[in-house]
Amino acid sequence: MERLKNFKGKWDLSLVVLLITEILIFGWINPRFLRIHVLLNSANDFVTVAMIALFMTFVIITGGIDISMGSVVGLSSVVMGLLWQELGFGIWTAVFCAILVGTLCGAFNGFLVAFVGVQAMVATLGTSFLYAGISLVIIGFSGISAAEGITGFPDSFRAIGHGEFMGLPSSIILFVALAVIAYILLHRTTYGRRVFLTGINRAAAEFSGIKTKLIILSTHMLVGTGAAIAGIYITSYLSSSRADHGATIILSVITAVVLGGTSITGGEGSIIGTFLASIIIGLMTLGLQMAGMPTQFTGIGIGLLLVVAVSIKSSMGEGNLISDLKRKFQKESK
Amino acid sequence: MIAIKKLAKMREMTALIFLVLLFVGVGLRNPDFMNAQSISTVLKGSVMYILLAIGMTFVLLTGGIDISVGATLGMAAAVAGTMIRDGSSVVAAMVVAIVIGIVIGLINGFGVAIVKVPSIIMTLGVMGITRGVMVVYTGGRWIENLPDSFKLASQVKILGGLNVYFLIVMIFAALVQLYFMKARSGRYFAAIGDNLEGARLVGISAKKVMIAAYVISGICAGIAGVVFASQVGFVTSNTGVDIEMIAIAACVLGGVSLSGGLGSVTGSCIGAVIMTAINSALIYLKVPSFWNKSIQGMLLIVIVVSDVLIHRYLEEQARKRRLSARTSVLGGAE
Amino acid sequence: MSKKKSLIRLEGIWKSFADNQVLKGVSLHLSEGEIVAIIGGNGAGKSTLMKILMGIYTKDRGEIYINEEKVHMSSPSVALDKGIYLVPQEPLLFPNMTVEENILIGFRQNKSELSARLHELIEQLGWEIALTRKANTLSIAEQQLVEILRGLLREAKILILDEPTSALTFNEVQSFFQLMKDLQAKGIGMFYITHRLSEVFEMATDVVILRDGTITVSGPVEEFDREILIKGLMPENTEMAKAEGEREAIDYSQAPILKVDGLTGYGFRDVSFDVHKGEILGLAGVVGSGRTELAEAIFGVGEIIRGDVLLEDKSLKGLSTMEIIEEGLNYVPEDRHLHGIFHMADVRMNTTSAILSRVSKFFINKKKETEITKKFIDDFRIKVTGQGQELRSLSGGNQQKVVIGRILSSDPKVVVLDEPTRGIDAGARGDVYKIIHQLKKQGLAILLISSDFEEIFELADRAEVMCHGTNTVQLAKEEITMDALTHASFGA
Repeated sequence: MERLKNFKGKWDLSLVVLLITEILIFGWINPRFLRIHVLLNSANDFVTVAMIALFMTFVIITGGIDISMGSVVGLSSVVMGLLWQELGFGIWTAVFCAILVGTLCGAFNGFLVAFVGVQAMVATLGTSFLYAGISLVIIGFSGISAAEGITGFPDSFRAIGHGEFMGLPSSIILFVALAVIAYILLHRTTYGRRVFLTGINRAAAEFSGIKTKLIILSTHMLVGTGAAIAGIYITSYLSSSRADHGATIILSVITAVVLGGTSITGGEGSIIGTFLASIIIGLMTLGLQMAGMPTQFTGIGIGLLLVVAVSIKSSMGEGNLISDLKRKFQKESK
Repeated sequence: MIAIKKLAKMREMTALIFLVLLFVGVGLRNPDFMNAQSISTVLKGSVMYILLAIGMTFVLLTGGIDISVGATLGMAAAVAGTMIRDGSSVVAAMVVAIVIGIVIGLINGFGVAIVKVPSIIMTLGVMGITRGVMVVYTGGRWIENLPDSFKLASQVKILGGLNVYFLIVMIFAALVQLYFMKARSGRYFAAIGDNLEGARLVGISAKKVMIAAYVISGICAGIAGVVFASQVGFVTSNTGVDIEMIAIAACVLGGVSLSGGLGSVTGSCIGAVIMTAINSALIYLKVPSFWNKSIQGMLLIVIVVSDVLIHRYLEEQARKRRLSARTSVLGGAE
Repeated sequence: MSKKKSLIRLEGIWKSFADNQVLKGVSLHLSEGEIVAIIGGNGAGKSTLMKILMGIYTKDRGEIYINEEKVHMSSPSVALDKGIYLVPQEPLLFPNMTVEENILIGFRQNKSELSARLHELIEQLGWEIALTRKANTLSIAEQQLVEILRGLLREAKILILDEPTSALTFNEVQSFFQLMKDLQAKGIGMFYITHRLSEVFEMATDVVILRDGTITVSGPVEEFDREILIKGLMPENTEMAKAEGEREAIDYSQAPILKVDGLTGYGFRDVSFDVHKGEILGLAGVVGSGRTELAEAIFGVGEIIRGDVLLEDKSLKGLSTMEIIEEGLNYVPEDRHLHGIFHMADVRMNTTSAILSRVSKFFINKKKETEITKKFIDDFRIKVTGQGQELRSLSGGNQQKVVIGRILSSDPKVVVLDEPTRGIDAGARGDVYKIIHQLKKQGLAILLISSDFEEIFELADRAEVMCHGTNTVQLAKEEITMDALTHASFGA
C-alpha cells in the first residue's frame, strides 16, 4: 500500500525524467533539436492536443470519456469560417460563436451521459458522427471546397497562431495560460474537489449532497470549450477553416491524459501530469520528424506510449499481472 | 407495457423492421431503391461491415470494445493487396491477413485480459501503432494494379443475382449464430460480460475467453481487409479509418449492449446492413451525400437513447415490484 | 458421528489481506448428512473462509482434505470438480440469461442430456420454477433456488450456504428449510453460515462459532443453548448487561425533533415513529425488511409515495440531499464501500465532502479543512499516519469513523446510522458505540438502524421493529430483549 502511494507521487517526477531523456536522445540524434527557438516553436504542433487534453482530464477523472472532441475541433473551425465569410460576422464575433458551439456540443454530450445515462463512450461515439456530419453539411450547403476550406483571414486573427509576446510564441502563452486555469480549477477549487469525489465514488458523492449529474455535465462542457478553442487556434495557425482539422487528434489527447497519470477508470489525475505528457508527446512528434523518420512513426510512438503507460499503471493495482506473478512466485518458492 | 417489454426482448426484430421500413419508405419516394439491383448493391456493400460486426459482437459481449479493427483491416488490406499484386495466390494472402488479425488480436487480448488495461485504451493504442506500421509498410503509397481476376471475384453472382461474398458471409454468420446458440462455450462470451464473478464461479476461464474474443475480432477484420481490397480494387493509406465506428454502431443498432452480456450476431449483421442501406438510401432520395455522417450519428444516438430509457424504465418497474412484494405480509400479493 | 463418511476437513487455515489478519488457524470438519452452522459477528471471517473453500481466495497456510485426500484449491473449477458448491449470499446469476441457461452453463457434458436431468431433478424436488424465465425477473429467493439447482446438478456433495435466508420472507424460509432437510437425507453435507441463532437450533447438527478469525466454540448442537452461543459470540470482557451508567433522562415532554408520519415508498409502507433530542431510537429489522429503503427515502435519495418526514416541524419531503443535510439531518449509509467512503481520496477530502461549500467559497480553504479533520481524528481516535492517508489503506473500523466524522461535520441535529458496525472488528465496534453515546450526550437525536439485535439491545432507548416493510412492534427500553426483537422482526 505504502509503495503504491509513493509510486503515485513519483509519477509526475518520472514524467520529468522521461521528458529530459527524450530531449537528450533527440538532441543527440539531431543537435538542431536543442535550439531553444525550435523547442519553443514546437509548441505550435502540440498545443491543440494539450488544449483538449487539459480539460479532458476533468472528464476522465469523473470516470467518463469523450471521443467526439476531434469532430468538435473541425466543427468549431467550420462554424467560425462560415460565420465570418458567408454570413459576414465580425471575426471576433465569429470566434466567440464558434467557442459557444463547442460548449454546446459538450453540453449535449454531458446531457446524454449524465442525465439520460448513456455510456460516455457510446454517447460520444454517436455525437462524434453527428458533429463531424454537421460540419460536412455546413460545408456542403455553403459550397466551400472541402479540400481547401475557408481561407484569407485577417492578420489580427492570424496573430492567434503566429503572434509573439515578449519573445514567446503565442502558442506557448496560450498553452501555459490554459494549463494554469485548468490547474487552479481542478486542484484549488471546490469545483475540482467535487469532480474528484464524483469520479472516486459517484454514489457516495450523491450521499454527500453533491449534484453529480451537473458536475459530469459541466466537465463535458469544459472539454467542449477546450476543443473549440483548439479549433480556433488551428484555424488561425494554418490560416484555413476545415472540417477535418481534428480528425486524428483523439488518440493523442487520450494518450496525453493517461500518460499524465489520470486513471482511465476515474478518481485520480493531475493537470501537471497532463501538462508534462502533452509536451512529451509534442516533442516526440517533432523529434521523430527531425530525426528523419516519416511522420507516420509518430502514431506508432504515441500508441506505444499509451499502451505502455497504462500497462504500468494497471500493473500497480490488485489482481493484475504483477500481483498474479508475485503470488505464483511465492507459491512456488514455498 | 407488454409491448415495450417485447420490444426490448426482440431487438433483432426491431432492427429488421426498421430495415424493411427504410426500404419501403425510401422505395415510396423512389421505386428504384426497391429493385433487385439496388438491394444487391446494398448487400454487397455491407459484406465488410458484417464481417467486422461479427467480430465486434464477440468483444462487446464480453463487456469490452475493440477500436483497432479499422486499423487491422487497413493493415491486412495493405499486406494482402501487395502480395496479390506481386503475384501471390489469393489463398496465401488470405492466410497472411488472418495471421495479422490473430497477432493483433492476441496483443489486444493479452493487454485487456492479463495486464488488465481497459479495452478502449488498449485497442486505441494498438490502433495507433497498427496505423503507423501500415503506413510505414506501404511507404504512404497506394496499392494499385490489383489483378482483374481478384477484383472481379467480388462481382460474381450466383443463385439468381446474389453476390457470392455476401452469400459466404451469410453462411459464416449463420454458423457463428449457431455456435452461440448451441455450443457449450458459445455462451461463455456473454456470460463473462453479464457477470464476471459469476462466470468464474461456474468455472469459466475468463481470461481465455476474453483473449479468444479479441483474436476472433482480429481475424474477422483481417478477412474484411481482403474483401476490401477485392471490392474496391486499391488500398489507400486511409483504408479502414473510422470504420470501427461504423462496426460498433452496427452492433448497437442490432441490439448488442455495450455493457456486455446481451446481443446476437444476427442483430449485428442486420445493423451492418442498415448502416450501408442508409448511405444508399440517401443517394436514391437525392439527398447530398454530405448528410450521411450526421444521419448515421443521429440514428445511433436515437437508438441508444431509447434503448437506455426503455431498459431503465423496465428495471425501475421490476425493482418497484420486487420491493412492493416484500411489504405485503403474505408475499407476492400482486 | 464418526461412523459417517468424512467429506471435508480443514486444518489450521490462515489468511490475511494486506495488514488485516482475517483467519487465524481455523480447523473445520464436515461429514455426510451433517449441517454445520457457522455463526459469528460481522467481520469474523466466515465469508473469507468459505471463499477459500471455493478456491476464490487462496489460503496463506493450512491444509484442506476432501474424502481424506489432500487437495490444493487453486481455482473455483477445482472446487467444483471436487463436489463443492457455494450458494452465495447475493446470488451470482447471469441476469440476461434464462434460468435453464444459468443452470447449465459451465458444464462439460452433453446439453440435451443435462437438460433432461435438470427436468427430472426439478420434478423430484417438486419445485415450481419456469426454466425459460430470464434471471433478471427472478426474486432473490428464486435466484437462490437456481443456485441450489446448479449445485445439485453438479452432484455437489458439499453445499456452502452463505446466509441463504437473509433475503427471504418467512414462508420462503420455511420451504427452504424443508429443502435443506431433503438434501440432508440424501447425505449431502452443508456448511450453513448464519447470524440467526434460532435457525441454528432448528436446522444444524453441529455448530461452530467464529470470532475474529478463530473458532471459539464448536460441537454438536445438542450441547449448547442460546446463552452459551451468545457468550461465544460476544467479544471478550464484555458483559451482557446494558451500559446503565450512560443512562440519562430524556425529556419526552418536549416535541420530538424528527417525526416520520405514515411514510410509504417502495419497500416500506405506513411507517410512523418519532425521535427526541438526546435519544437513540433503534430501528431493528432483518435484511430486506425495508429499513434501508426507508432511510434512503428520508435522506432524499429514495422515492416517497405517501406520508411525510418532519424535522422540527419542517417537511423534508421533496428536498434534495444537499438541502436535507443543510436542514440538519445526515445519514451514515448501510453499505460503506458503495455509498460511504471515497476510497481513493484522503482522510481530509472524505471528512469535508459533505460541507464543501461551507468550508470554502470557491477556492479550497485547506487550513479550515485541516482543522475540522484534526478535530475528528482526535475525538474519535482514528488511527491514521496523517490527514493525507488514503481511505482504502485504513481498516474498516477507521473508515467507518471517518464516515461518521463526515456526517457530523455538517452539524446535524438528527443522525441516521444504518448498520454502523457492519464489517468492522470488535475493538472498533466498541469505539463506535462510545461515539454514539457521546453524540447522545451532546443532545443529538439518533436513529440507529441495525439487523444486529445485540446492537439495538445495547444502545437503544426505545426500539421500533421493522417487518415486511412496516414498523409493527414498539418496544420501550425495558422491553428490548433479544427474544422480543427476534420474534417481532420475523413476524412470528
